[in-house]
Amino acid sequence: MSAGNGGWELPISEGELSRLTKDLDEAHREYLPRMHAAAADLGEELRDTQPTRARVAELRSASRRGFLLGAGGVAAAMALAACSSSTKSDPMASSSSGAMSGSASASGSSVYTGDLEIVALATALENQAVGAYGAALAAAKAGKLGTVPPAVGTFATTAMAQHADHAKAWNAILTGAGKPAITGVPLSNQPATLKALGAVTDVAGVANLALELENQAAQTYLYATYNVTSAGGIATAASIAPVEAMHAAILNFVLGQYPVPDDFLPTDKAASPSLLTV
Amino acid sequence: MGEENLDTRLLAGLTEQSQDLNSDAVRITREALAEYGQQEPDRRWWQRGGMVAALAGGAALLGTTRAAATTSNDIMALQTAASIENLAVSVYTTAAALPFIKDGNKTVAAFIAKTTAQHTAHGQAFNAAATQAGGKAQNAPDPKYAAVVKQTLPTIKTPADVVKLAITLEDVAAQTYTSYVSQVSDAALRRLFASVAPVEAQHRSVLLAVQALLAGNDAALIAIPTDAAKLPAAAGSVGFPDAFYPTTNASPTSEGAVQ
Repeated sequence: MSAGNGGWELPISEGELSRLTKDLDEAHREYLPRMHAAAADLGEELRDTQPTRARVAELRSASRRGFLLGAGGVAAAMALAACSSSTKSDPMASSSSGAMSGSASASGSSVYTGDLEIVALATALENQAVGAYGAALAAAKAGKLGTVPPAVGTFATTAMAQHADHAKAWNAILTGAGKPAITGVPLSNQPATLKALGAVTDVAGVANLALELENQAAQTYLYATYNVTSAGGIATAASIAPVEAMHAAILNFVLGQYPVPDDFLPTDKAASPSLLTV
Repeated sequence: MGEENLDTRLLAGLTEQSQDLNSDAVRITREALAEYGQQEPDRRWWQRGGMVAALAGGAALLGTTRAAATTSNDIMALQTAASIENLAVSVYTTAAALPFIKDGNKTVAAFIAKTTAQHTAHGQAFNAAATQAGGKAQNAPDPKYAAVVKQTLPTIKTPADVVKLAITLEDVAAQTYTSYVSQVSDAALRRLFASVAPVEAQHRSVLLAVQALLAGNDAALIAIPTDAAKLPAAAGSVGFPDAFYPTTNASPTSEGAVQ
């Protein structure tokens, strides 16, 4: 027990706090298998519209390309911004934009239809967040963002891991329904995201961009809860939206903004399924 | 308790802006509802432009609930949710009057005031939906957690005690509404619960961070704006301990239903 600044007796020691944190981490790890099982169940529910083998191969190719030019492109964009002040345009953003536009135009209509269109959108949003946090951490490690507060580093590391877990859950639904997993960022707003990341030179800039991504994700999942029909999809969206909102709350706090700005989570920043390019 | 770091003018300004935005959203929403009712049912949300953006407040959620088909389980879920909100409002109101809150950290006091208002709005939304569905409004607190609060209140001596109790209530609310999203029978009610659960989760997130700062003798950092450079590493992650929001402690729909 230790005394707080206000002179009160605090009811918890640092040791107890560490133990509680460990317990929470273990609870999280116990929960993941159940989430994956639920995702598998949902996949079974949705396994009603099988794409052709050729279409699957085409989509897998597009997804791999999207990863290389999406999440990987984020890191490259950050590196470019950090290493050169004379860069007028971001070549990675341009090339990824072209590739993604090509995918979209070549594909015509997506095989991710109905509920799966929203699941695919969710997966892409999670991959986008993982790429953004990964790039930010790499830039921070390289000293490209100035002094990075320890709490910001911890935030980015933990949030990135949770987004990766979310992407796995969403991808399990896609593959369970016989659709290709999405490992890249097949979103038409990815070039703009890359460009914005490339222009960031400090922690506040990264935090503001992260806040946009978190708000977009949380609101998209809120939308999903009342627009998908599958019980598994509804439950998955309902269990992830609060977590993205919690990320946003801490980011708001770090940025000096009120952390719970809305009485009811809105949907004005939700991503449209039309952003999908596969 | 960290008052030296407070920018109370900024906090007051932000609070006022937030309240203005909420008032505007509710007003715009009410105006938009009539228009919304005239729209073709299959028109998709992202095609509705600015009007959908206005459907952010509780009134919008109530409006879409009005025409929804509901079951007795839906009504019980809404009543139990209202009972949890009633209890939260009661606890925060009691906490706000405690000397070490009232005369303590201004940011904590402001958070309690704003959070009380948000829980009040949630309770009103749940009760309005319950009555529109043909049920009775629930004006009593959740009996299970009211007993917990009754047992705990006399032992509260410090802000950390208040925070610990509030974390429990916010977590129960968030878990319960997350669970109810999958239990209610129509999309409008799913939307209502799914729009409130993240807000309760955000309350919990902030409280977890505050709890960690108090435990680490960093109460001075409980401020808006805070000194982010001085925040301990744990403050960056303690606010979101689960990758998926759990529902193991969700209240059954019957728990706070009107008898």
